[in-house]
Amino acid sequence: MKPVGFSTSPNVVLRLPMWRSRLMLFLLFVAFVALVIRAFWIQGPGNGFYEAKAVKGVQREIEMRATRGKILDRNGQLIATSLEAKAVIAYTDNIPANLAPEKITQLAKLLEMSEAEIKKRFADERNQVFLRRQVDPEIAQQIRRLEIPGIGLNNEYRRHYPEGEAMAHVVGFTNVEDRGQEGIELARDKDLAAQPGKRRVVVDRLGRIVNDIAILQFPQDGQDLQLSIDSKIQYIAYNALKSAVEKHRAKAGGAVVLDVRTGEILALANWPSYNPNSRKALTGEQLRNRVLTDTFEPGSTMKPFPVALALEQGKVQPETNMTIGQKLLVGPKPITDTHPYGMLTVSQVIQKSSNIGTAKLALQLEPREMWDLFAAVGFGQAPNIGFPGTVTGRLHPYQKWGQSDQARMSFGYGISTSLFQLARAYTIFARDGELVPTTILRSPDYKPGTRIITAKTAIEMRNMLETVTEQGGTALTARAEGFRVGGKTGTSHKVEGKGYASNKYRAIFVGLAPISAPRIVVAVMVDEPSVGGYFGGQVAAPVFSTIVSETLRSLNVSPDMNERTVVQAPELQPTTSTLQKVALKQ
Amino acid sequence: MNRATLSLLVLLLICALSLVTSQQKTRKLFVSLERAQAQERKLNQEWLRLEFEQRNLSKSARIRDVARNQLRMSPITPDRTLYFKEGL
Repeated sequence: MKPVGFSTSPNVVLRLPMWRSRLMLFLLFVAFVALVIRAFWIQGPGNGFYEAKAVKGVQREIEMRATRGKILDRNGQLIATSLEAKAVIAYTDNIPANLAPEKITQLAKLLEMSEAEIKKRFADERNQVFLRRQVDPEIAQQIRRLEIPGIGLNNEYRRHYPEGEAMAHVVGFTNVEDRGQEGIELARDKDLAAQPGKRRVVVDRLGRIVNDIAILQFPQDGQDLQLSIDSKIQYIAYNALKSAVEKHRAKAGGAVVLDVRTGEILALANWPSYNPNSRKALTGEQLRNRVLTDTFEPGSTMKPFPVALALEQGKVQPETNMTIGQKLLVGPKPITDTHPYGMLTVSQVIQKSSNIGTAKLALQLEPREMWDLFAAVGFGQAPNIGFPGTVTGRLHPYQKWGQSDQARMSFGYGISTSLFQLARAYTIFARDGELVPTTILRSPDYKPGTRIITAKTAIEMRNMLETVTEQGGTALTARAEGFRVGGKTGTSHKVEGKGYASNKYRAIFVGLAPISAPRIVVAVMVDEPSVGGYFGGQVAAPVFSTIVSETLRSLNVSPDMNERTVVQAPELQPTTSTLQKVALKQ
Repeated sequence: MNRATLSLLVLLLICALSLVTSQQKTRKLFVSLERAQAQERKLNQEWLRLEFEQRNLSKSARIRDVARNQLRMSPITPDRTLYFKEGL
C-alpha cells in the first residue's frame, strides 16, 4: 500500500468551514480587549475602591493627647493636677473560655473587684466593656504582665487633688470624662479643658507608625488657673472650723477669709467636706458649699450697718447715751435683750449687742436709706465671683417694710444672706468705708473700692467692733494674741417651718484684723451647735481667733498690740553687734 | 549617541539608589523623632508626677505633723518674739 502523507490523509484534508476559526480568533480578541479595558479601568478612573482599601490598611487616624490645665493656689502650689492613668478594657470575644482561674483571681485583686463581678463583665454581650477606669499606671503595668488575651489598656487621665478635703468645695472635681462637675473645675471648665488633637499616619504591618501624613487638628493643653486661695490659710481655716464643729457637735459650718486690700478670697472652708480624690457615697450635705450657697438670718452680725448709718447721718455719736429699758414694743412681739440694760452708749449697744438699742437707732432712719445701705453692701444680690451656685439672699423692698420689719431687720431678722455676702459687706469697715470687689482668681494688686460710708464712720465703727472683744464685750474669745481685732457676734434662731425653732441656733462671728490697719476680714458660721454653748461668742469667735492669729502670722503682718519692738534698725538687715545689743537688753 | 544613553542610564541608576537611601533615612529619622516625642511625653508625665509627689510631701497637714511630732517644734507666739522695725 502506498503510504499516505499526513497532509494528504483523507481524514485531515477534510475541510472545515473557514468561519469557525475566524469566530474563535474574534472571540479571543474580544476577551483580550475586555481584559485591557478592565486593567485600564482599575488603574485609572475606577481605582477609588482599591485605593481606599489600601489606605485603610496602612493609614490610621490617631489621637494626640492633651492635658487638662492645672489649678494652682496663689503661691503656685498645686491644688489640682492631671496624671496619666489607664482604662482597663475587656474585649469579650477574645477572652479564652478556658482562662486559668488564678489569672482571674490576680486580675480581681489588682482591680479591687470581686471575681464574680469580673466574670459577669466577661460574659457581657457587648464585645467591649470597661472593667475599670482611671487605674494607676503601676497597677496597669502589673495587669499587662498577666498577659491575659483580650484585656486592653487605654490611655486616659486622672485628676488628683493634693489638698484633699480641706479644699474640696473650692476646687470641686471632674468626672471620668475629664469634665468639671463642681466648684472651680465646673466654673472654669472651658479654660481648663484640653482639646485632644488628631493626626493621620502611615503604619506598617505591625502597627508601628512609619510616616506622618498630616496633622488634622493640633492638640491643645488646657490653661493653668491660679486661684486667690492660699492653701496654708485654707488649711488653717478648715482645721479651725472642723475642730469647732466637732467640739460643739454641730451640724455644719463655714468660714471665709478675705484680703481687705485686694478683695481676694484667701480661704473658703466648709464642713462637712469630702475627699475629692475618692468620691464614694457622696451626699448633698457634703457637697454643699455653705459659705456661698446657704442663706440664713444673720442675727446680730447685722447691727453694725444700721448703727453706722445712724452715725453717718449724724443722728448719734459713739458716746451718745441711750435709754434702753426692758423691752421695746414694736409689732406683734416685744423686742428684748438677753440682759436688761438701763442706759448704754451707742458704742456699748454694739459691744453688748443690744437688740433694743439697735432697733431704737434703726427706727430713727428712713426705710429707704436703710435699704439703700443694705443693697449697696451687697445684700440681696448674688456676689459676682465667677463661682457656681452663689445665692442672692433675701432683702425685701423697703416699700413693704412695716415698722416692726425695719426694727427686726436692724438686728438681722427678716433678712437673709450668705456668709460670703456678710464677710464682703464688712469690708466697708475694714477699708475705711469702701466696699471691695471680691474675686477667687489671683490678682494681688490693690483694688479701688466703692465708697459706701465716710472713713470717719468706718473708723468709729471699727473701734466699736474692737470693744466687742474687750472686757464687757460679747466675744472676749475672739481675741488673737498680739493683734488688735474687732468683730461682731451673732446668734440667730434657725427658721423651722413657719416660725423659729426655740432650740436650734446658728453661731456667727464676723470680724476684721488688725484694727490699726485692717488686712483681713474673717467670717465664721457654725450651724446647730449642741454641746458647750451656742452663742456666737462661745462657738464662732474662738474659730475666728485661731484663724486670725495664724493667718496674720502666715501673711507676715506684724502685731499691733503688746509688740516688743526692741530696736529701731536703720536698715532691715541687723548687724551682729545690734543683735548682741538686743540680747544684752533682754 | 550610545555613550550619552549609557551615561544617562548610570545617572538614572544613581538617582534611583539615592532615592532609596534618602527614603530609608527619612524613615529612620522619623522613627527616632517619634521615639523622642514619646520620650518627651513620658518625661513630661514624670515631671507632673514628681511635682505632685513633692506637693504631697509639702502639704500643710504634713508639715504641721512633722514639725509638732517629729521635730518637737511649737508655734511662735508674739510674747516671745522680737520685732525689728525698719526706720531711722
